[in-house]
Amino acid sequence: MEPLARAAVRRAILVGGVVGAATVYMCMVGLVGAFAARPLIAGVGGEGPGIVTLGLVMLAAVPFLAGMTVASRLRSATTNASGALAVGCAALSGLVGGVLLAAFTLIANAVPLNGVFIPVTPTLVDILTFEQGPVVGPILLTIVATVAGAIGGAIQLLDSRDRRAILSGIGIVLLLALLKPIVDPILAGLELDAVRDFLFSAGGLSQAAAALTLALVVGLSWAWGRPAAPLRDRMRSMPAEHRRRVGLALAAIGIAALLILPQISTGFVSLVLVNVGFYLMLALGLNIVVGYAGLLDLGYVAFYAVGAYTMAILISPSSSLDGPITALVGPEWAFWLAIPIVMLVTALVGILIGAPVLRLRGDYLAIVTLGFGEIARILFGSDALRNWVGGPNGVVGLPNLHLPVLGELTGPGEYFYPVMAFAAFAAFVAWRLSNSRTGRAWNALREDESVAQATGVNTTNYKLLAFALGGTLGGLSGALFAVQLRTVFPGSFLLIVSITVLAIIILGGMGTIRGVIVGALILVGLPDALREFGEYRFLVYGAALVAMMILRPEGLFPSKTRRAELHEDVDVDDRPQLAASGEATA
Amino acid sequence: MTAPVTTPAQPDGEEPDAQQGMILEVRGLTKRFDGLVANKDIDFDIPRRSIVSIIGPNGAGKTTLFNQISGFFEPTEGTIVFDGIPLGGLAPHDVVELGMARTYQNIRLFQNMTVIGNVLVGHHVRMKSQWWQAILGLRSVREEEERSRAYALELLDMVSLSRRYAEDLAKNLPYGDQRRLEIARALASGPKLLLLDEPTAGMNPMETRQMTDLIAKLRRELGLTILLIEHDMKVVMGVSERITVLDYGEKIAEGTPQEIRTNPKVIEAYLGKQATA
Repeated sequence: MEPLARAAVRRAILVGGVVGAATVYMCMVGLVGAFAARPLIAGVGGEGPGIVTLGLVMLAAVPFLAGMTVASRLRSATTNASGALAVGCAALSGLVGGVLLAAFTLIANAVPLNGVFIPVTPTLVDILTFEQGPVVGPILLTIVATVAGAIGGAIQLLDSRDRRAILSGIGIVLLLALLKPIVDPILAGLELDAVRDFLFSAGGLSQAAAALTLALVVGLSWAWGRPAAPLRDRMRSMPAEHRRRVGLALAAIGIAALLILPQISTGFVSLVLVNVGFYLMLALGLNIVVGYAGLLDLGYVAFYAVGAYTMAILISPSSSLDGPITALVGPEWAFWLAIPIVMLVTALVGILIGAPVLRLRGDYLAIVTLGFGEIARILFGSDALRNWVGGPNGVVGLPNLHLPVLGELTGPGEYFYPVMAFAAFAAFVAWRLSNSRTGRAWNALREDESVAQATGVNTTNYKLLAFALGGTLGGLSGALFAVQLRTVFPGSFLLIVSITVLAIIILGGMGTIRGVIVGALILVGLPDALREFGEYRFLVYGAALVAMMILRPEGLFPSKTRRAELHEDVDVDDRPQLAASGEATA
Repeated sequence: MTAPVTTPAQPDGEEPDAQQGMILEVRGLTKRFDGLVANKDIDFDIPRRSIVSIIGPNGAGKTTLFNQISGFFEPTEGTIVFDGIPLGGLAPHDVVELGMARTYQNIRLFQNMTVIGNVLVGHHVRMKSQWWQAILGLRSVREEEERSRAYALELLDMVSLSRRYAEDLAKNLPYGDQRRLEIARALASGPKLLLLDEPTAGMNPMETRQMTDLIAKLRRELGLTILLIEHDMKVVMGVSERITVLDYGEKIAEGTPQEIRTNPKVIEAYLGKQATA
């Protein structure tokens, strides 16, 4: 065998091993079993259990992605291996993965493993063998994995436009099927029963709907990517001002759609979005501290807690202070009067937390702030402060929020509008700051603290300002959280809140507001909306973050800055004119 | 070097009588790092609107002296008086506000900020808008932002850096342009005294000549006083009016380029190696 082929085969086997290990792991922790319970695409006639389940998709997706990876490396400009070799190696990686998984199936069938690995049950074996018994099943499983790998490889042979069209088609269909619990109630609310009946049945997305969606998305994506696509070219040739306006119009439509969402869907959707809103505000606040100013704060939950407790003590009649604000102005205005106080308190806490860590950088700062976050939670739950903040029981009996026109809010889902308004406020503040003298000073601080100072930035003040403003946004989120829940107790302010918020920023793209919104939807909205994900939330977080760090370290929607920072090699290649003209002026 | 120069002149440098006297007076400056004496009892003055160089072999304490003047290091002993104001106890950003700006031997740009962003950070001390004004989006903020951007672009012209690069990231600039950008960033703070730490390090002869021209132009057109650390003797002899020579942390000579060239102590400590080579 020639050296290239030998290296390719070796790599394919290695990737196959990873595929096998990943799928076996997914089975052992119960992912596959749980996800198999969610049908995505219904069987013929829409009756009975779905024929394509999320579990099956996951089992096929892993070798498929592996096949894509293997083939893409082989088909790159530098390697340029033959198509047959690429597909062959992709299939090989699928085969190796399939054999490993089949071996696991046989073992699980022969030895009862569920004493240690509870999810490894006969049901799981049935799922893995497609209920075809211990002989045909594993063979079938191997074939499925091999074929998935081969298809993943074959897709790399297509030119990029076709590939993008097919992949987005498959992606959208799966997403639509996955989001059935959200889309279905919305359609019901809109009384679009015909559409609803066409799209969904008990077993998931109907086959006809899946086929139609696939065709539609593939067609549209393909047309958009055509060399002379009229719509796209018109968009591109528009002057920047026009394009901005189109962007604004699209954003306005998006916002309008968001605003009518609670009217047309169930309370469940609103509830999920309210939770997304809390995290969105937290992430926007932390983004100021971490993304703008480069101060890695792992104890951000402290601000959330302080905001929530301040609000609770100020307005709950049963708090240690008997809710002074409510006593003063009554429950209608209590929240609104308390909000400025909460902002002030959290800003002060930001300065208090910031002051002792001014001299710390990077890892040291992270560890110390991590400690602060835990201290906050423990203090609020401690016996020492029991008389003020209620110890483990927290503060209860917060009055409902009264809106100026709409009146009293009774259900937790009704907080959708105020939470969205506050989140929009937070985004606005973050946006205005990012493009200002202040934002630039923060960026300079992030880039090189000593030079920032020697360029005229008062680093002490700007660090404290970042903590204070970031803390204020986190505190606002906490205050809303308190009134929405009407109860505040220490159990709400665990370390995992800080981690989730940081993960949102990293996933979305450090430093950008758009990225933070998408990050919050994916990391908070999705697990809330889809119970299967909720169960494995942290596994999915971990996998998503690891994948992001490898594939797109700059986040989903990076700022220009971050992208360049993390893809140095690409950027230099992209700008030959810069290097060349630089030579000329130098 | 064809760019038009429209940068506002520095008023301090324009007045004829301001040319008299010293912009910087250093007396008895000593810096110790634990046991090591990096600078020992240095006296040294910079006349207004002059170009002064500090030379000396590697490890002679040139950059340490620089770091103390710009407020990076606190001197162990001695005083630094800048424009009549003693610098003792002032933070680096205060020193910048008084009108001193510097560049670095190993270029230290804000790599992941745009070219214009770097210059605007340099202009930070001359801008006034506060964070809450930015959130409110006051007109004064927008106007200041526009003015500052225009000014930053003029500074790019000043250092002959194409405006086309304004939105590119600083790190993507070629080496020579990064040095120019660093100077533009320093100029943006409106300095009276500009400290350049080896501005031609790593440059080829042509780039070096352009840099020398730029330094002369900055004094001529902006009325700046410039303090230079430099290794390239051609640059030092060509551009400076006075030269201070450091060796083992001590000042061993001071004078015009001609005097320095013929000073036996200097020849022994530094140029001597070249003279005999």
